[in-house]
Amino acid sequence: MSLPISPPSRHSESAPSRRDIVVGAAAGIGLAALPNAVMAATQPALSELIARLTDGAVPERGRITLEIPALVENGNSVDTRIVVESPMTEADHVRWIHLIAEKNPFPDMARFHLGPRSGRAEVATTLRLATSQKVTVVAALSTGGYLTSDADVVVTLSACIDGG
Amino acid sequence: MAFNARISMPAEARAGEIIEIRVLTRHPMDRGGQSDGKGGTVPRKILNRLTATYSGEPIFRLDMYTGVSANPFVSFTTRALETGDIIFEWREDGGAVFTRTARLTVT
Repeated sequence: MSLPISPPSRHSESAPSRRDIVVGAAAGIGLAALPNAVMAATQPALSELIARLTDGAVPERGRITLEIPALVENGNSVDTRIVVESPMTEADHVRWIHLIAEKNPFPDMARFHLGPRSGRAEVATTLRLATSQKVTVVAALSTGGYLTSDADVVVTLSACIDGG
Repeated sequence: MAFNARISMPAEARAGEIIEIRVLTRHPMDRGGQSDGKGGTVPRKILNRLTATYSGEPIFRLDMYTGVSANPFVSFTTRALETGDIIFEWREDGGAVFTRTARLTVT
C-alpha cells in the first residue's frame, strides 16, 4: 500500500475549520485590547517614571532643547544633545539631567550630574532605543524645580523599508 | 582590549573660558539578558559610571544604564580655572575601573 501524495481532504483535529476561523476573528476583536492591558501592567506609565524622579512634583515644560533625530534607521546608537537654559551659577544651576525611554526594557537611560563648574548645561551622548517612542528628558534645578521636554522618535530598524 | 577611550578637548584655554570635553569610548556595553546557549542568561556588563575630576575637584558624573549605546560618546562642558589634570574614571559592572588623564593648560 503506497502513501498518498496529498493527504485525504477531510477535516483533521488540528486544522481550524471555517467556523473556527469566523468565531476566532470575532473573539480577536476582544483579544486585541489585551496586549495593551498586559503592557500597562508590566511597563510603568511615563507619568510614574517622571514622578519617581521628581518625588511626585510635576515638572515644568520648556527651557530645554532636546536635539534628537525624528527618524532613525537603527535604534542602536542615536545621537542626542540636550541644552538647558540656565545661568549655571552657585545659586541657580542644573543639578542633573535624566533621560527616559518609556518603551525600553529598562526605561532609565542615563543621568548627567552637573554643577556650577560646568559653565553651561549642555551634554550629548549616544542612546539605544528599542522601538519608536517618546524620549523624555527631566532636569533638576538647584532652586528646587524640575523641567521637562520630550521628542517623538521613529525607529524603522530596516534600511530597505521603502523597497526601492 | 575591550576598553579604549579617545578624549577630545583643547590643550589650552583662557581662564574662565568654557571648554567642551568630548569622550568617545570603545566598549561593547553588553546589556545582558540574552541566552548563553546553556540555559542561563548573559549577565549585564556595561560601563555604569563616568566621573571627571579637575585638579581633584569633581566636575562631572554620568550614570549610565542599558539605554546608552555600545561605544558610547559623551560630551560635557567645564569652566577652565587653573592648569591641571582632568582625570576620567569609568566603572564597569563587576568592579573594573579604567582611568585616563588629560592635561589642561590655562593661560
